[in-house]
Amino acid sequence: MKKILLPLALLSLPSLLHAATAATQLEGSFKVGPAIILIIILILFVMVGIVFRAKDTTDFYAAGRGISKVGSGMAIASNWMSAASFLGMAALMYGSGYHGLAYVVGWTGGYVLLLILMAGQIRKYGKYTAADFIGDRYYSTSLRAVGAIIAILISISYCVGQFGGIGLMFKWILGIEYSLAVIIGGTVVLTYTLISGMLGVTKNMQIQYVIIIISFLIPLFILTAKFDYFWLLPQIGYGSVVSDAIIGLPINETKALVNSLGHDYAVVPVPEFAMPWDPASGQTFFQWIAIAFSLMIGTAGLPHVIQRFYVVPKARDARWSVVWGLFFISILYWSAPAYAAFGKILSAHPEVGTLAKDAIVVYTAQLGNIHPLIVGLLAAGGVSAAFSTVSGLLVAGSSAFAHDLYVKVINPQASPKKQLLYARIGTILMAIIVTLIALKNFALIGQLVAVAFSLAGCTIFPLFLLGIWWSGSNRAGAIAGLIAGGTVSIIAITYFIAGKSGVTLPAHEFISYWLEAWYFAWFGAPLAIIVHIIVSRMTKETPIEIRKFLIEQVHS
Amino acid sequence: MNPSENDYHISFFKPTTESARHNRNMVVQLILIWAVAIFGFQILLKILEKPVPEPAYIQFESSWQSIQAGTASVHEYQEAGKAVLSVMGKIAIQAEDLLLLENALSFFSYQISEQKEDLKLAVSEFESIAASITDIADESYVSKKNDLIPLMAELFALHELDVRSKIAPLGVKSALMESFDDSARDQMLETMGLYLIHNRSVLTDAKFLGFPFHYFYTAVFLLILFVGLCWLYCVRTDMYNKKYGVED
Repeated sequence: MKKILLPLALLSLPSLLHAATAATQLEGSFKVGPAIILIIILILFVMVGIVFRAKDTTDFYAAGRGISKVGSGMAIASNWMSAASFLGMAALMYGSGYHGLAYVVGWTGGYVLLLILMAGQIRKYGKYTAADFIGDRYYSTSLRAVGAIIAILISISYCVGQFGGIGLMFKWILGIEYSLAVIIGGTVVLTYTLISGMLGVTKNMQIQYVIIIISFLIPLFILTAKFDYFWLLPQIGYGSVVSDAIIGLPINETKALVNSLGHDYAVVPVPEFAMPWDPASGQTFFQWIAIAFSLMIGTAGLPHVIQRFYVVPKARDARWSVVWGLFFISILYWSAPAYAAFGKILSAHPEVGTLAKDAIVVYTAQLGNIHPLIVGLLAAGGVSAAFSTVSGLLVAGSSAFAHDLYVKVINPQASPKKQLLYARIGTILMAIIVTLIALKNFALIGQLVAVAFSLAGCTIFPLFLLGIWWSGSNRAGAIAGLIAGGTVSIIAITYFIAGKSGVTLPAHEFISYWLEAWYFAWFGAPLAIIVHIIVSRMTKETPIEIRKFLIEQVHS
Repeated sequence: MNPSENDYHISFFKPTTESARHNRNMVVQLILIWAVAIFGFQILLKILEKPVPEPAYIQFESSWQSIQAGTASVHEYQEAGKAVLSVMGKIAIQAEDLLLLENALSFFSYQISEQKEDLKLAVSEFESIAASITDIADESYVSKKNDLIPLMAELFALHELDVRSKIAPLGVKSALMESFDDSARDQMLETMGLYLIHNRSVLTDAKFLGFPFHYFYTAVFLLILFVGLCWLYCVRTDMYNKKYGVED
């Protein structure tokens, strides 16, 4: 097909030029208003970071365990609502319709698992990091080191998507190249994280949540009001936008409803936007289920999410903070599909051309002719979402590096000062690695972040689930389970990277479909759990001290 | 192992205390609700779904046979053209499919037109302007496009305000008007089906609060359910902890 139509591609050059022109118009050059808003927000973040900066290692890792459950819920939401939620989710729905809802369900449903299976118990276990738990529960320094390395890999993988989002927003605001935008954005977020430390970050997160959610909702209220939908509750009002897209929206002859490029607010029927696993989306029923499942399992295994439960005073607070956290998160997740629906109609005219899906939230606001300063606030909110998550991830990663690897494995005599120094070195190293990978622009933000979820689902989740709920789970079982889950992860990620690099490996199509990088945990996590159980049953029992601790401290 | 060591065993499925038994039962209940609500509903969607073509596909299919046989009337070319425009108005079209559709639309327009050379000239002039501009608000570009819209509307028997009339000037290409080869034709029906046939059922056609029901269920209701399940767990855990004197 491609060969047959190659000459036609050259003949169709003018239509491609249209696309480039309209997209370029939306992109524009340096935007003063949005830049000022972004700078003000960043200064605010840094100021709050300085006021609440980390004074010692306990502060740096767990914020002194002095955060209330509502505050911690906000911190959970802010920590969670990353560029993938703010920008990536609407992008996925804009690009592949109902398939994108698998991400909405996956990224919220996992909290139910996390709460009922882990949150309170994790807090009762009383450690600082995920690797701390793994090392103690499985009485193994080697497993602690492996846990730390996995935590670092997960943080890096998660951060790549965030840096991509930061890059896109900095590109839009500053009117510069993507690569330069990633480097500038990365440098700013690194500086901020280093200054504030965990206590500052947590306090910041509550402020960040408010900024993120306000910046996300204001344009939505305006869009629904402007285009004559039920604006008082846009999360419900956009239902009619979806229905309009399905049946097609004729040009309104009585009201001049147009986008910012002068195109009518109208569209031919696009049922593929809402119909399940539509053939035009190229996505299947299996992929929907696999993505939702992998994301949910991964949610309950992400070190930086688990780590949040260490910063609340009691197990009860840990449990209630999940309820609050999920509610605050859901406010954004109820709203994100609305941007995709409006984006679908507002960018329907072929003249608009191909837009960067990951920036569709901002483009939709622009196409909806919303005031540039409000669009600027929206973009700044996107940056803020990425910042809040990145800072949490960098802290989780650097904690794994300094606390779990350096102090617990390499140099147990290290002074707190040295430990903090290593935490900061770890943060810088991670930021550099993430920036280099983000420059490659491998996939959509949401998909890149989903890789981290599958990795966590295959490795950390089984260790926590079985470690908490089954005293028979032992070191040998943990190692075997990790090898099984790790092998599936390595295969899936290797095929993904090979595919992106143009290399075809044996059975490439088969592996890429069944173990795609964003949902390989559907297979890897159950496999790791089964292997873990079988090997545990066949090998020496867990030491009495661990079992005693589980009963007396964790399940008392 | 000495007998006292046997007292220290924890298993989710074999709770040894009353409070643990309550907790297990509650967790199992909540996970069942959670799993059925998420996956059960999607499985139900899958079971009930049927491939349903858009009206545009039915129009196209009925005209396409005559076009292939070389016996198509102007009306049939117009119907096929309208169907192609219905696909071109969609957003997520693969590049190679778009080229195929442009070829089909251009060919149909040429077959319909009585002043073929005038049409070709008008389209070609618009293409020259489009290739030279940097801003789609450019006056000469907009003016030429606005001239073409009524022309296209007339060709395909559309109202000037029909969305498809406004798309048409961008889809018709002067260089693709005169030929539509067999290899491209072979792809046509399949390509149109890809974009115009959808999985639908009573769950997708029913409406709730303005949403298609299945969309509301997945995008809105499930999230409410998740928050509700979490709230219920916390309330009941607090209650049991108080009852059994479990300290946090």
